[in-house]
Amino acid sequence: MKRTERDTLSVEWVKLELLRTAYATRGGLLARLDPRVVLFWYVLMAASPWFTHNLTVLALLFALAAAAVVTCRVGPLVVGLFVFGLITETGYLVTAAWFFDGDLTTVLSLGELTLKLGTVSMASMAAFVSLDPEKLSDALLSLRAPALVGFGVSYGYRMLPILVDEFQTVIDGYRLRSAPPASRGLFGWRVLLRGAKITVYAFYPMMLNTAKRTRTTVEALETRGFTYAMVHSDGRRIRLAHLRVRPLDLAVLAVTAALIAAAYALGAQYPTSARL
Amino acid sequence: MTAPAPHTGPAVEVQDLVFRYPGAADDSLRGVDLTIEQGDFTAVVGGNGSGKTTLCKTFNGLVPHFWSGTYSGTVRVFGQDTTETDVAALSHRVGYVYQDFGNQLVRPTVHDEVSFGPVNFGLPDWRARTEEALDTLGIASLSDRYTWQLSGGQQHLVALAGVLAMRPGLVVVDEPVAELDPQRAEEVYRRLADVNRRLGTTVVVIEHHAEFVARYCRSVLLMADGAPVWHLPVAEALARTGELAAHGIPAPQVVRLARAVEPEGEVPLTVGQAVGWLSARAARPVPDAGPASPPEAPAPANAPHPPGPPVVAALRGVRHGYRTVHGGLTPVLRDVDLELREGERIALVGGNGAGKSTLLRLLTGLKVPRSGTAEVTGTDTRSVRPAELADRVAYLYQRPEQMFLADSVRADIEMYPRGRRRPDTDALVADVLDRIRLSALADRDGRTLSGGQQRRATLGIGLAMTPALLLLDEPTSSLDTATRDDVIAMLDALADRIRCVVVATHDMHLVAEWATRVVALGEGRVLKDAPPAEFFADRELLDRVRVVPPQITALGTALGMVPPPLTVDECAGRLSTAVQEAGA
Repeated sequence: MKRTERDTLSVEWVKLELLRTAYATRGGLLARLDPRVVLFWYVLMAASPWFTHNLTVLALLFALAAAAVVTCRVGPLVVGLFVFGLITETGYLVTAAWFFDGDLTTVLSLGELTLKLGTVSMASMAAFVSLDPEKLSDALLSLRAPALVGFGVSYGYRMLPILVDEFQTVIDGYRLRSAPPASRGLFGWRVLLRGAKITVYAFYPMMLNTAKRTRTTVEALETRGFTYAMVHSDGRRIRLAHLRVRPLDLAVLAVTAALIAAAYALGAQYPTSARL
Repeated sequence: MTAPAPHTGPAVEVQDLVFRYPGAADDSLRGVDLTIEQGDFTAVVGGNGSGKTTLCKTFNGLVPHFWSGTYSGTVRVFGQDTTETDVAALSHRVGYVYQDFGNQLVRPTVHDEVSFGPVNFGLPDWRARTEEALDTLGIASLSDRYTWQLSGGQQHLVALAGVLAMRPGLVVVDEPVAELDPQRAEEVYRRLADVNRRLGTTVVVIEHHAEFVARYCRSVLLMADGAPVWHLPVAEALARTGELAAHGIPAPQVVRLARAVEPEGEVPLTVGQAVGWLSARAARPVPDAGPASPPEAPAPANAPHPPGPPVVAALRGVRHGYRTVHGGLTPVLRDVDLELREGERIALVGGNGAGKSTLLRLLTGLKVPRSGTAEVTGTDTRSVRPAELADRVAYLYQRPEQMFLADSVRADIEMYPRGRRRPDTDALVADVLDRIRLSALADRDGRTLSGGQQRRATLGIGLAMTPALLLLDEPTSSLDTATRDDVIAMLDALADRIRCVVVATHDMHLVAEWATRVVALGEGRVLKDAPPAEFFADRELLDRVRVVPPQITALGTALGMVPPPLTVDECAGRLSTAVQEAGA
């Protein structure tokens, strides 16, 4: 089998997709909003499905969240993982219901939970894909989260490319230096096993290498007033001065609220319940 | 916080300073007495482990506030005792750029990174300070970029800008040349000199490369065993070639040449000065004295003609590139044709991002070309897995710790032969350990070794793979000169085991002293493929591939020597005999 350079489904692609997701490089509707409004929007969407058992409402909310995923340009990796999860979940539900002598009611009531969780997941994807680390940490800071949390979020994102790079390097080292299996085995299970083993082994060198690099970071933080800013609030005021809620922000919130209300109204008109 | 009051005394005064890291067996600093005047541009030189970095960390209070070991003596920075002020207050006066500056960047975007200090301290003019620092270093156009998207050179300038935004009176830069290509290091030095001249900022650099010291610094502080040996004006300091060499800092090549010509008296520091110095002594290159090709280079190895030695690896019409985070394709190699032959020592040169590492990775099979073919010992890299190709190719990463996968040097070295069930594994590993002189340290974790030992350990990992083709990425970066020479000697000694060695490097001394063939990459192509002397003679090309030739080669070119000399001895030998005799 000839190998070719692949632009999708490769380690390189996963790395880029993670960065695109973390740094909101694709833009989208929510990416243009004030980060605090995005958080409110998220709370609104994530809370909406928990007040009903009406499947019509839940389906409408699910559709609304799916529309948000599209408008926020969530990348293929995240959507792919979600769809994969949803499909396996459905498969599992049907199997479980059949195995435990359940009927359609069992499937529907378990499906209800899937719909709710799916809505929340999609709302999370839409919101967090639209927030780059800066925006997220500013929003948290302005909502009076402890400074360490805000910074932790932004620094965590900063570490992401480093971790991924270190991980890839170590994996490549193992690919070259550890012995490949003599035969692939049934469905390539030996290859899969080797991959899984390497991933586990890679953890120790990756963490050590990353830890070594963070020592400089900790010293640099100290010399650049990070600890000082924890106790003095002048920095916080400057950092948050740029946050503004504009008409577009309010409009998006209002439209979302209206659509959720409409979903409930429509559901009341045409109710469907898991309990037949 | 208010701006620190102006201070008229020296920038740094150190008295009887003794410091020991917590848990260490020996003092890192033992009795340092030192004065650095305001507005000075000081180079701190000395071998690995001489206490250079520890000393510089006392200036901004990291020692003893952050590293609380055993501390006695006083350090005054602009008149303030560092034990009585905290690190935050000191950071208004002292900025520090680390050797691994990439890890110093903590914020996502450049603008944010530079304003991080002023914003944290709540300075009302933080915006002006940020703009000013970006403008001073000429990187205002990078303002909205993510820091991880930048090249090494740009990251260094951003780290420096973040420090300058605090408007410090003193800036410490730890080994700018270690991780940058020579032209980008040059850029950093030019900016530092500019800041020093225009703003009167005192600059302290830790530096192994005497040539940069000669061109940019005003005074030199030589450190050995945790204490200064002397602190002298640059010309006087660099004239003490013997002392510098004894501490692992070979003098600039023009100084060594001058010493070969005249054992006493004043010496030139730069190529320009050397031309004048030599003409004042009526020293001219002897016409026809030099052989048509340099004597060190064995002729058969660099004959790139078809009836040469067998081909070990070949790239034909190779094109490769990377996807960017925005989805575009950045071409790195556009059209590369290259044959690597048996017995060759190939240096792969070119600026950061010219595609050196990409080319090496294509040869390992970790990557396959987007078009064209890569072949190693006749096998198309597309047709086998990298693990199988590893029987023929070994690739050593730039940072040694990236090669340490196991918890001891021995385990790392035996990973490959043991995994492949080589019957003679034990004997092979013992032999390799012996050759790299690490038998005594074989059970230590590679990460705990010194820089030079780490390089030797990675060479050992490569050797145990018994490859036909050995690929090394920057094997000499961030090593002091003595350690570097050791690694070069080791590469020499390995020649009998490996059919072909390729080194990607910025280190032009390594190229001049070791390589038999230079392949220069630029604009996605091979721009030049020639023996070192011919390569260094092409000045227009050197600029295009962002290479700064060794001083002695540049001097030879300036004197009209064709081909230019590659070593000091060769150059001295080719100067007119009248001077030789006068010198003797």
